[in-house]
Formats: sequence, C-alpha cells, structure tokens
Amino acid sequence: MTEHVEIKLHNKLSELASANQTVTEFGRQHGLPDSILHDFNLALGEILTNIISYGYTDSGEHEITVRLSIEPGEMRVDVEDDGKPFNPLEAPEVDTTNPLEERAVGGLGVHLVRKLTDGLEYRRHEGKNLLVMKKHLR
Amino acid sequence: MKELEITQQQLQSTIVLHVVGAVDSNTAPELQEALLRATEAPTGGVELDLAKVSYMSSAGLRALLLAAKALQKRGERLTLVNVPPQIHNVLNLTGFTTFIDVKA
Repeated sequence: MTEHVEIKLHNKLSELASANQTVTEFGRQHGLPDSILHDFNLALGEILTNIISYGYTDSGEHEITVRLSIEPGEMRVDVEDDGKPFNPLEAPEVDTTNPLEERAVGGLGVHLVRKLTDGLEYRRHEGKNLLVMKKHLR
Repeated sequence: MKELEITQQQLQSTIVLHVVGAVDSNTAPELQEALLRATEAPTGGVELDLAKVSYMSSAGLRALLLAAKALQKRGERLTLVNVPPQIHNVLNLTGFTTFIDVKA
C-alpha cells in the first residue's frame, strides 16, 4: 500500500478534476472516510485555484507539485509552486455574518481552507511557495 | 474536461435546476450562468437540486451568492434541495444558510 503519492499538475483549472481523483483514490486505498476526503479535496482545490488563477504574472506553463501522505493519525498534503509569494495564513478573515446585501464575493476559498483543515504551515523557499495542510484522522 | 450536467424544470412559478457533477472553479461558470439566467424570470423562485453534486467549492458558492442577490431584488430567496451533508456543512461554515433556504 502506498504511503505517499506525488503528482505534477500544470497551471490550468482543468487539472483540478485529476487532483480530486488522485486524492480520492489515495484516500480510499487507505480506508479514509468520504467526509475527510471531501474536506481535503475542497481545501486542496481552493489552494490550487488560487495558485492557478492569481499566482503567475506570465501566461506560460508552470508545474505545481502535490504530495499526499499518511502519517500516524493524520493525512497531509504538501503543495509546491513557483508562483509569486502568497501566504494563505496571512490572508484577511472574511466576515461570514454580514447580511446578503453586504456579502462580498471574494475570500471564501481561504476561509474554507482554514475551517476544513486542522493544520496549515507556509514557507517561501528558493523562489517557491510551500504549503502544508494537515487533517486529523478521527 | 469534466463538465456539469444541468437540467432545468419549470414547476408552476418555480424554476428548478438539477445539477450533476463536481462544482469546482473550472465548472462553476456553467452553474453561475444557468442560475443567473433562471433569476432573470420576472417572478417566481429558483430551486437548485444538489442531490447529485459531490462537491461545491468557493467558486460555486460565489454563483449561489450572486443568484441570491439577484433574487433578493425581487423579494425572492434561493432554495437548495437535497443538499448532501458535506455541502450543508460548507454552507454553514460560510454563513450562507442565513440568506439561502436549505431543504435536506
């Protein structure tokens, strides 16, 4: 049974479906419940969307590395990209209590990443963003 | 490329949209277009059936928000039906259940 898996994605939104499929297959191999896989897929999708949509200043092709692993009691994903520096831990909080008229359309992605994961770590290293997301396996 | 399957149904004055697939930032524009077109009807509510939706990202939530805003202008609310528990959780975490009606 694989304890970790690594995939390389291009900076295209159409790659999201294959990331989702990889997480689902990896999780099922390890007998993880669908609820955990759902939350993990959602969080990873939000991070990849941010990188692909806002991370690059040129229109060229870039590679994003996603590593999934199982550690005792937790599932972990490492995302590495060579886009501009972006630390999701520093993104402003959105107010989710505003009435409809005042609700803005942005910021919900990072909000969901924070709510659906149990640990986030970010560092910038050698021109790359490295983000680690962890989720406890209860 | 994976796409959404969206079927539109007219039930008296309500437009019901049945969606099949995963709503991510790649597919959300299709949902947004269908929803906003439905809100352009002069009267009546809009219902979105999520029974066969596995996943709703923030791009999908944005489509729901824009539809809810458009409907509010004519005194209607967006209704979601057959909402899977994980999507219900996402709606709660983002405070969307305060302005969107959710039926299990």
